[in-house]
Amino acid sequence: MKNKLILWLSVILLLVVVAFMAKDLFVTTDRPQENIYEYDLKELRKVDSSKISHKEVKQIKIQANELHGIAIDDKDQIYVSTDENILVLDSEGKQINSLKVRGEARCLTVAENGNILVGLGNRVDIRKPDGSLRNSFVVAGEKAFITSLAIDGDNVYVADAGQKIVHHYNIDGEKINEIGGKNPEAGIKGFVIPSPYFDLMIGRQAELWVVNPGRHAFEAYNSRGEQISSWERTSMSLDGFSGCCNPANIAMLSDGSFVTAEKGLERVKIHLPSGDFKSVVAAPELFEEGTVGIDLAVDSQDRILVLDPVQKMIRIFEAK
Amino acid sequence: MKENKKNRRDFLNTCFRFAAGAGIVGIAGVLAVKSQKGDFLWQLDPTKCTQCGRCATSCVVTPSAVKCIHVYDMCGYCDLCGGYFRPNVKKLSTGAENQLCPTGAIKRSYVEDPFFKYEIIDELCIGCGKCVKGCGAFGNGSLQLQVSHDLCVNCNHCAIARDCPSDAFSRVPIEQAYKFAGFKSNKKI
Repeated sequence: MKNKLILWLSVILLLVVVAFMAKDLFVTTDRPQENIYEYDLKELRKVDSSKISHKEVKQIKIQANELHGIAIDDKDQIYVSTDENILVLDSEGKQINSLKVRGEARCLTVAENGNILVGLGNRVDIRKPDGSLRNSFVVAGEKAFITSLAIDGDNVYVADAGQKIVHHYNIDGEKINEIGGKNPEAGIKGFVIPSPYFDLMIGRQAELWVVNPGRHAFEAYNSRGEQISSWERTSMSLDGFSGCCNPANIAMLSDGSFVTAEKGLERVKIHLPSGDFKSVVAAPELFEEGTVGIDLAVDSQDRILVLDPVQKMIRIFEAK
Repeated sequence: MKENKKNRRDFLNTCFRFAAGAGIVGIAGVLAVKSQKGDFLWQLDPTKCTQCGRCATSCVVTPSAVKCIHVYDMCGYCDLCGGYFRPNVKKLSTGAENQLCPTGAIKRSYVEDPFFKYEIIDELCIGCGKCVKGCGAFGNGSLQLQVSHDLCVNCNHCAIARDCPSDAFSRVPIEQAYKFAGFKSNKKI
C-alpha cells in the first residue's frame, strides 16, 4: 500500500516537472515593460484639448508617389506638387488639371495673375495659368537647392537651403539681390539651416518673411534686402520651436498670424504676429510619427490646408 | 566472375570508409562555416531601433557594449538639443539638472553663435538610448546607438538581440561593422 502511494506521488511529481518544462519551452511570457531607462515621448505628443482651436473638416486623398508642396490661388484653387506633376484641384478637392513637370517639383507658389512658379532642384520654372512654360532659370551655385518660392508682382524670392541664402530675381530670371547673408553691421546673423527645410512667404504689407529654422526665428525683409522685423521662440513646449530646422513650413492667416508646421514633434500651430503662441491647429497625434515635410496653405476663408505627405492627403482645418 | 563478388566483410569495410569520409567532409564543412561566422559581428540597425532602453540592461557586458555614437556630419549643433536637454528645461545651461542623460555622458561645448558641440564620453555611456530618442524626436537623428566592437564579446547568441523588441540586432559582415542611418559611410566615427 505504502509503495503504491509513493508510486502515485512520484508520477504526480513527474507530471508537474514535465508541465513546468513544457511551459518553459513552449509558452513565451511577455517581457517586462518597465525599463528605468526608457524615454517616454508620449507625454510630449499630447496636447491639452483647450489649446486646440481648429477642427478637421475635410480630407482630400492625392494619388501620387510623393507629395512635396501645396499652394493656393486667389480663386481658392489648390495646387499640389508631386514627384511627377502639379495637380490642380478646385476648392472642394476635385481635380481639374494635371501639369507634367520636368523633375521633382519640391515647392511651388501661384502669382496673383495665375502664373505658377515651380522649384525643381536648382531650377525655377514659371508656367502660365494654362500650364505652358513662360520661362525658366537656374540658381547658380554647386550647392543650390530650392526649398521655397514666393512672388510679389515682378519680384521672385527663392529660398536656397543649400547655399543658405534667399535669392531675389525678377520674373524674367535676372538676379537682383541676395537677402539674409550674414552681416553683423546690419544686425543680420545669417541663416542657420542644418537640414533642407527653409521656407518663406510674402506678408500682408508685401514684406518677405523668411524662417531662420536653426534659430527658430522669423525674419522680415523689404525688397531692398533690409531686415525690418524678427521674432524668435526656442522651446520644447507648445510656445516655441525646437531641434534642427523648425518651423519647417509656414503660411499666414488674414489677420497676420503665422501658421507653422514642425517636424520631429509633428504639429501645426498658430503664432500671433508678435510671435507669441496662440493655439494648436493639428496635434501630433493626427500624424504618423516621423512625418516630415508637412506643407501649409491658407485659403480666402482662413481655412488651413495641411499637406500630409505620409498619409498622402490634404487635410482641411477650420476654426471651431 | 565469382572473384569480383564482394563478401559481407568487404562490403561493411567499404560502407565504414564511406561513412568516415562523409563524416570528415561534413566536419570540415561545419568548421568552414564556423570559421566564416568569425567574420560576422553583432550590430544594431538604427533604422529599426526604438530606443526602448534594453541595450543598457540586457548586455552581458557591464556597462553595455552598446554606446551612443554621434554622427557629426548630420548634427544641427542646436542650442536647444533634444538629445542633451530634458524636456521643458528652463535654462539651456550645462547644469546636471537640465541634462537628459542619466550618467552625464554627453559633453556640451560652445562653438560659435548659435552652434554647440555635443560629444559622447564613451566610459560614461551605458547605451540606454535616451539621447538618441530625444535627438530623433527634435532633431536630425544624428545621435545613434551602435554596438562598440572594442567592447562586444560577440556572444554566439547576443543577449540584447534576444530582448530587442524591434529585431534591430543582426550579424553583419566585419567589413560593414557599423550601420549608421542617414550617413553614407559605415566607418566608426
